[in-house]
Amino acid sequence: MSENTFMGVPRDKIDWAPTIDYTKCDYCMECDKFCPHQVFEVRENEEKKLIVKNPNNCVVFCRACSKTCGPDALSFPNKPETTKQIKEIRKELEGNG
Amino acid sequence: MDKKFAVLPCNGLDKAAGSLTREIAMRLVEETGSEIICPVFYRVVDARYNKLAEENPLLVIDGCGTRCASKLAGEKGLKIAGKININEEAKKNNVEIGASLRLGENELHLCDLVLKDILKEEEKEIKGEENVAGAVPENLEYEKFTKDKFIFRIPKEGFYYNENDCWAYVVGNKARIGVTDFVQKSLSDIMFFTPPAMGSEIEQFGEAGSIESGKAVFEIISPVSGMITAINEELLDFPEYINDNPYEKGWIAELKLTDFESDKELLIGFDEYFEIVKRKVDEFHV
Repeated sequence: MSENTFMGVPRDKIDWAPTIDYTKCDYCMECDKFCPHQVFEVRENEEKKLIVKNPNNCVVFCRACSKTCGPDALSFPNKPETTKQIKEIRKELEGNG
Repeated sequence: MDKKFAVLPCNGLDKAAGSLTREIAMRLVEETGSEIICPVFYRVVDARYNKLAEENPLLVIDGCGTRCASKLAGEKGLKIAGKININEEAKKNNVEIGASLRLGENELHLCDLVLKDILKEEEKEIKGEENVAGAVPENLEYEKFTKDKFIFRIPKEGFYYNENDCWAYVVGNKARIGVTDFVQKSLSDIMFFTPPAMGSEIEQFGEAGSIESGKAVFEIISPVSGMITAINEELLDFPEYINDNPYEKGWIAELKLTDFESDKELLIGFDEYFEIVKRKVDEFHV
């Protein structure tokens, strides 16, 4: 991922990644097996055996991992708000450019 | 009415949602003369249910997002006529499924609601919505590139793309949308299409239905905002059309646009998308 941007906006400025609800997660690790972007990391010896390690690897607007989640423990930000955020950042960047 | 199904429930025993799939399957047997495919037995004895699944429309019932029944149907190469996911039904109907493995009042109520839906769906024949004929011109010109044995086609002109590998083709105040070759190649054989609801309003980058293969579910991310005016009903019977050509006979839906001028700012054209998709293919093995 050489130039890590999405829609012309630096990826790390966009708030989009899964949140794990640890009261629901049963550590089946289906999401980690599914995600080809290494967003998650398995930590066998810790209490939280699964964490969101690389939130900026997560493809903006993709919620596919949550559809593999049996206990429905993954949630994402609100899409229209994220779109708004991207538009605002683009405007700022244009202003600076 | 009284349509007979071959019903494949996940029958997951460690979750109430799994037990609900079994309950619904049993009710269908009682009320419509449907027959059950036991997922446990099917894994072991292949031939047992093949005839049943071939001769009747197959209804797959998954308890949760792990989609064991769908995956089994995929492994066996079965054609899916209808699909239910209990967790999604629970959300849709605002019913909370309890922690107990036994079915309580709430769960049985959900069972009634789902059954009502299934039987109602059988009654209403899909009404022939008129599509905007020829929204995408025939004989599209594609730019192609290959990676290993895969050929990726991207239409050169007239299409807008988002970075989530979906396209929009705009004519006047209407748009046709679909997925690109990158999606269908990544998913491989597409087995099931869940269309967006007719008449529903979708925001830009909102979900416009989903498609599913044995490998994964892909949420279709609408490049444009608007109201769904048509869906590609052929995909309900032949989701493999998306694999054949996702731009032509594998299109997903049509929308009446609400604010395309604003949507357009966040979309890209062929040149930019072609570069992005080439990079994606290089980064990920499909």
